[in-house]
Amino acid sequence: MGHLEYSEAKKVVVKGLMILGVVTIAEVFVALFGNGHIIHGFYLHKIVFYPVMIGLSLYKAYFIVYEFMHMRYEVKGLAMSVLLPTLLLVWAIIAFFQEGTSWGKRRELIHQKDKETIHETQQPSETGMLDDDRTYQIQ
Amino acid sequence: MATDTALDHHADVQDGNLWDGAKSPFQASYGKLMMWYFLLSDAFTFAGFLISYGALRFSMPTWPVPDFVFKSAPFGVENAPLIFVTFMTFVLIISSVTMVRAVQEGHRENKGGAVFWLLLTIIGGATFLSSQAWEWTNLIGKEGMSVTTNPFSNFNESGKYLSAEELEKAGFQKVETEAHGAAATYFLRPRAADVPENRYFVKADHHGHSMAGEEFAAGNHFLITYNHANHLYEHGAYMAEDGHVKKEEFGPQAFGALFFFITGFHGFHVFSGVVFLTIIAINVAGGLYVKRRNGYEMVEKMGLYWHFVDLVWVFVFLVFYLL
Amino acid sequence: MATAANKSTAPAQHDVDLLIEEYGYDDHFHEHHEGDKYQSNFFTTYIFSQDHKMIARQFLITGMFWAVIGGLMSLVFRLQLGFPEESLAWLKPVLGKWITINADTGLGTLAPEFYYALVTMHGTIIVFFVLTAGLSGTFSNLLIPLQVGARDMASPFLNMLSYWFFFMAGLVMFFSLFLSTGPFAGGWTAYPPLSALPQASSGSAGGMTLWLISLTFFVVSVLLGGVNYITTVLNLRTKGMNMWRLPLTIWAFFVTAVLGLLSFPVLVSGFFLLIFDRTLGTSFFLNEIFVGGQALDHVGGSPILYQHLFWFLGHPEVYIIILPAMGIVSEVLSVHSRKPIFGYKAMVFSILAIGFLSFIVWAHHMFMSGVNPFISNFFVVFTLIIAVPSAVKVFNWITTIYGGNIRFTSAALFGVGFVSMFISGGLTGIFLGNSAIDIQMHDTYFVVAHFHIVMGVAAFFGMFAGVYHWFPKMFGRFMNETMGKVHFWGTMIGAYAIFWPMHYLGMAGVPRRYYRFDNFDTFSHFSAMNQFITVAAILVFAMQIIFIVNFFRSIWFGKKMTSRNPYGANTLEWTTPIDVPHGNWPGKIPAVQRWAYDYGKGGEENVSQIVPLAEGEHDQGH
Repeated sequence: MGHLEYSEAKKVVVKGLMILGVVTIAEVFVALFGNGHIIHGFYLHKIVFYPVMIGLSLYKAYFIVYEFMHMRYEVKGLAMSVLLPTLLLVWAIIAFFQEGTSWGKRRELIHQKDKETIHETQQPSETGMLDDDRTYQIQ
Repeated sequence: MATDTALDHHADVQDGNLWDGAKSPFQASYGKLMMWYFLLSDAFTFAGFLISYGALRFSMPTWPVPDFVFKSAPFGVENAPLIFVTFMTFVLIISSVTMVRAVQEGHRENKGGAVFWLLLTIIGGATFLSSQAWEWTNLIGKEGMSVTTNPFSNFNESGKYLSAEELEKAGFQKVETEAHGAAATYFLRPRAADVPENRYFVKADHHGHSMAGEEFAAGNHFLITYNHANHLYEHGAYMAEDGHVKKEEFGPQAFGALFFFITGFHGFHVFSGVVFLTIIAINVAGGLYVKRRNGYEMVEKMGLYWHFVDLVWVFVFLVFYLL
Repeated sequence: MATAANKSTAPAQHDVDLLIEEYGYDDHFHEHHEGDKYQSNFFTTYIFSQDHKMIARQFLITGMFWAVIGGLMSLVFRLQLGFPEESLAWLKPVLGKWITINADTGLGTLAPEFYYALVTMHGTIIVFFVLTAGLSGTFSNLLIPLQVGARDMASPFLNMLSYWFFFMAGLVMFFSLFLSTGPFAGGWTAYPPLSALPQASSGSAGGMTLWLISLTFFVVSVLLGGVNYITTVLNLRTKGMNMWRLPLTIWAFFVTAVLGLLSFPVLVSGFFLLIFDRTLGTSFFLNEIFVGGQALDHVGGSPILYQHLFWFLGHPEVYIIILPAMGIVSEVLSVHSRKPIFGYKAMVFSILAIGFLSFIVWAHHMFMSGVNPFISNFFVVFTLIIAVPSAVKVFNWITTIYGGNIRFTSAALFGVGFVSMFISGGLTGIFLGNSAIDIQMHDTYFVVAHFHIVMGVAAFFGMFAGVYHWFPKMFGRFMNETMGKVHFWGTMIGAYAIFWPMHYLGMAGVPRRYYRFDNFDTFSHFSAMNQFITVAAILVFAMQIIFIVNFFRSIWFGKKMTSRNPYGANTLEWTTPIDVPHGNWPGKIPAVQRWAYDYGKGGEENVSQIVPLAEGEHDQGH
């Protein structure tokens, strides 16, 4: 299993603390930087922001599993038997998120259709106000 | 029973192939394997929650911005986005590190060292739980977020908050009433029934200062007016760029529910971890694992669980606080 | 499969006995209870037993209890469907207030809400308690340690807990049957809003709460069992038992356990969200909704989300049901036709392929419930791919028995019956897997016919095959063969008589879950068919009484097992003594030398797995 010597192992612990700490600080920094907290009015585009965040988190997850949970020192088969099944979630994530998007779109569509019927059946009154709670004009 | 399995009397076999039977193909004890596979299934439970979170979030037109929601810290610190949760994350990372040390001392059969590092880990877990308790208290008590109310959202369009005079000028009817023993003033649109959904309030910030006349752009985050005096979550009135009078909308309900549910479920894991760590620390101190002569394997298995709790937090931290 | 063996080198049967004696015991071994601290008294031997064989028997008998309850429920609602005009007043003593008796005519009618409760409970009980716990729980427990050559499960204690969690799940569910508002009545899938709003229907309040508690216990049981089965198969195989020498039963139980381990947690996350919706007023699964003219506060959730979470379990669940049956049938067919299983590796790979595919096809249960049609396309394709490994398995079963020296025992008959049912039900699955055809077929009796044949009847047949085959291993006696054959032919013909006509009902559009059809003109000409189905269902249930009588009678009065290996089977469980002791082998655990399917090799009837390979002989499994 190739366990490390005690003194080496202690070093790995310190190294692990440093790496996880630095990555966490980096994550928070990117979050604040990307949302305009550090340079006022500057925002990172989502195409950059999301992958950076997800990448850093996946690195943290990798580090915890491989170093702290000793997966690196286990037989490869054990690592695969635990890690490969999580790939089943990839399709679940794609399908669920696609579904979520489509619920949102459908809700939006229903909203629009609801408005259409109101326009057909009700004429605006003289004050220009509808019974729809969104359309009041200031006189 | 499991100790005197096929493994014992075939132990002399030195076959190169690990899969030939009479030995563990993964060179791990059954207990460790069971812990790994339990954690795998627990990972799927969390995956179920987090994927549901994603699906619901993708179905919403807006979603609260985390660095606006989580910007308070204890001792009266305001406007410090994500600072407190970074502290919580560090607490969990450090407790993970101390757990690694406990496992290492266990391997060396060093009882005192194992107990010491286990106690530090317990303290770390308890600190995390306390921090979470403060965070929940703040969100529920001060910000008014609950499993059914989410006062945080984004504006869909640009506009400007209205004052009481502007509302009256627009034909809105002023109503003064008493709520929870304090005076509340709100406005009703013409011909509207006096029910909570129809009430428009003048927007005020946390300290009660009127925000009338303040302009905002689409995408800016907002917090629903919260009146400390009468404990009402109030829809502030604003005028959109096209001149329509509208009221702020609550953010998606799912945000609060998912936040409390998933962080709560994670917190429950931390809590049970602390309980088990305490039991194991007592057992280590009592010398139980010395008798078993398996290198404090129980400490190692507990370590796997504790790191898993940290691992889940990486993703909870990602989806709730960073994205 | 080549049978290239050297005739002169194949060992004879008596060598096996010599080999077993070398491992430290002979046929005359008798178990001595004293000295075994795990089985020191009645409670630790029969109730809180940690012996996998006792736990298997506990699972089996509990499963049979639930099968009777679930079966009787189906008879009551079949009576309602077949004979809606007849009086059910005679059921009043059992069902109490759920039968209303008309004061003038004396006609007793079944309460419609209780009809739904019966349908729901029938599904829940049969799917989870009978075909998951009763099938996989029984045979995984019995066979995994015996066939891989282990003294017991990796953790006998967790194994015991697994049974008792299942028992508690059953207890809670049983209790829910007696609630004044009735058990849950929203379908075994428990879709919101019926399951999420306590005020939605009579069973949605207390009944649903108990349903959720019960199934949460059940999931705990499955997970405890699952980690145990997986670890035992991986870690505790005896010397020489590499993965390619495992009998197909073990492969099937192994993959079943993996499926359970990965899919049930997702169901739990759905359940927890549902509990929140029910108790704290959250809106994970609820959007704007009116109940009784009253608008509720819920906003923004999606009932389809629950359906996704449910079927992410639900589809692997149907393989959790069918895979153990497949494994059992593979073993039984090979043993009783005295031929090696055809295409052993293809069988293993198709089990693995089915296991993998089961996780990416779940939304084919939801084509018509509002899932996005774009994503449906992918689910159709993945679903139809499952036909390939399934067809490989069917082909291999048929070629296994082809040209075999078949012994028509009850076990073998049920094995063949399983293959027949699996083909019939599998073919209709290809229809339903197409989203375009599903528009017409969904929620009709076509679906009912499909899944009852393919995972109801077929799984039961696998279970029966296993019970008849391994009854001697469980109880040391044989079941009565005549009664077994009556049971088989009655069930086989009866099951087709029930479910074959349902295809026609379904194609005509008769919807499932309806209380009665006689007020729909469109369906009125099916009343004779519905009566026929009901009569067939009663007959099939009567056949199961024969089985139960046979089962319990044989435990005490069956023909005694006189030799260690009555079927001439090769697997390790037949090297244990007739009275299998706690720890399975009184001496050393035998080492395995060859794969499990050397039948008819080198002129020998069968060659046990513990017989060493002869000089120059090639092991076919490895």
